[in-house]
Amino acid sequence: MFLKVQMPWNVIIPADSLDAKGLMLKKAIVIRLMDEFACKKATKDLGYFMAVTTLESIGEGRVRQNSGDVLFPVVFSGITFKMYRGEILQGVVHKILKHGVFLRCGPVQNIYLSHIKMPDYQYVPGENGIFMNDKHSKIDKDVIVRFIVIGTKWMEAEREFQALVSLEGDYLGPVS
Amino acid sequence: MMSGEEEENAAELKIGEEFLKAKCLMNCEVALILEHKYEQLQQMSDDPMNQVSQVFEKSLQYVKRFSRYKNPDAVRQVREYQLAEFELCVLGNLCPETVEEAIAMVPSIKTKGRAHDDDAIERMLNDLSLIKKFE
Repeated sequence: MFLKVQMPWNVIIPADSLDAKGLMLKKAIVIRLMDEFACKKATKDLGYFMAVTTLESIGEGRVRQNSGDVLFPVVFSGITFKMYRGEILQGVVHKILKHGVFLRCGPVQNIYLSHIKMPDYQYVPGENGIFMNDKHSKIDKDVIVRFIVIGTKWMEAEREFQALVSLEGDYLGPVS
Repeated sequence: MMSGEEEENAAELKIGEEFLKAKCLMNCEVALILEHKYEQLQQMSDDPMNQVSQVFEKSLQYVKRFSRYKNPDAVRQVREYQLAEFELCVLGNLCPETVEEAIAMVPSIKTKGRAHDDDAIERMLNDLSLIKKFE
C-alpha cells in the first residue's frame, strides 16, 4: 500500500552554503532533504521512500559545534510504500523455479511464492518451466498475479524488504 | 524471522494505529504525483532518470501499469460508504466486479459489526464502475 506520511527530519546545511538567505536557504534545505530521502531508500517502519511531497515546517537552525554546519529540524510529507501481512496486491512474475516463483511489486523486488502456497498449480518442466493448474491457467514469466501477503522481512543491511506470499484464497492467482 | 508484530493483519484492518490514520494512496493517485515529480526533475536536469532512485523508477513503472482510474478524486467520493482509507484504496486498485470478490479482497468490510450489507457493497461497486465508464 502506498502511504502519505508526515515525518520529522534533520537537514544539515554545510557552513559554506549558508551565506544564502531566505528563499535560497529554503531551496537548499528542500534539495538536501530530497537527496537524503532518496539515499535512505527505506526504513522498517515506514517502508520504501518514494518522494517528498510538501515541506510542512522548518524549525530554527542549530549550529553544530565542530563543523560550523547548521542543523534544521524539518517536518515534511512524503510518500512511502509498505506491504502488510494480509494485504492483497498484484505483482509481476520475474523468475520461475521448480519449488516456487519470484515476483516484483512496486519497489519490492524480492517476493517469493512457494509451490506449497499455489493450490492446484503444478510445475511443468521445460526449456522455460511454468506452473499450471488443471484449468490450464498458467503462471509464467511476466504474468500478473494477485496474491495475499503472508509475511514480510526487513533486511537491515540491504535496506530492503522481502516478502512471502500465497495464492490461498478466493480470487487469487494469475490475472488476465 | 518474519515481521515482529504477530497481530498485523490487513485482512482485519490491523495495520497499526498510525497507519489507520495515515493517508493511503491508490496507484492512480501515486501515478499522478510521481509523474509530476518526474516532470519537475526533467525541467531541472538533462537526464532526469539519473536523478531518480531505483525505488522511484520501479514504483513509477508499477503505478502507471496498475492504475485503474484517470480521476482519483471521483473515486474518493465513494468514501461516503464509510470505508477505511486502506479499504478504499485496495478496492480502487483491484476493481472487484462482484460483491463476493470485493469481500475476498477486503474481508474487513464484512467484519467488526459494520453496517456493510451486501446491498451497500453492491451499490458501492456500481458507483466505482460508473466512474470508470465516464472516464
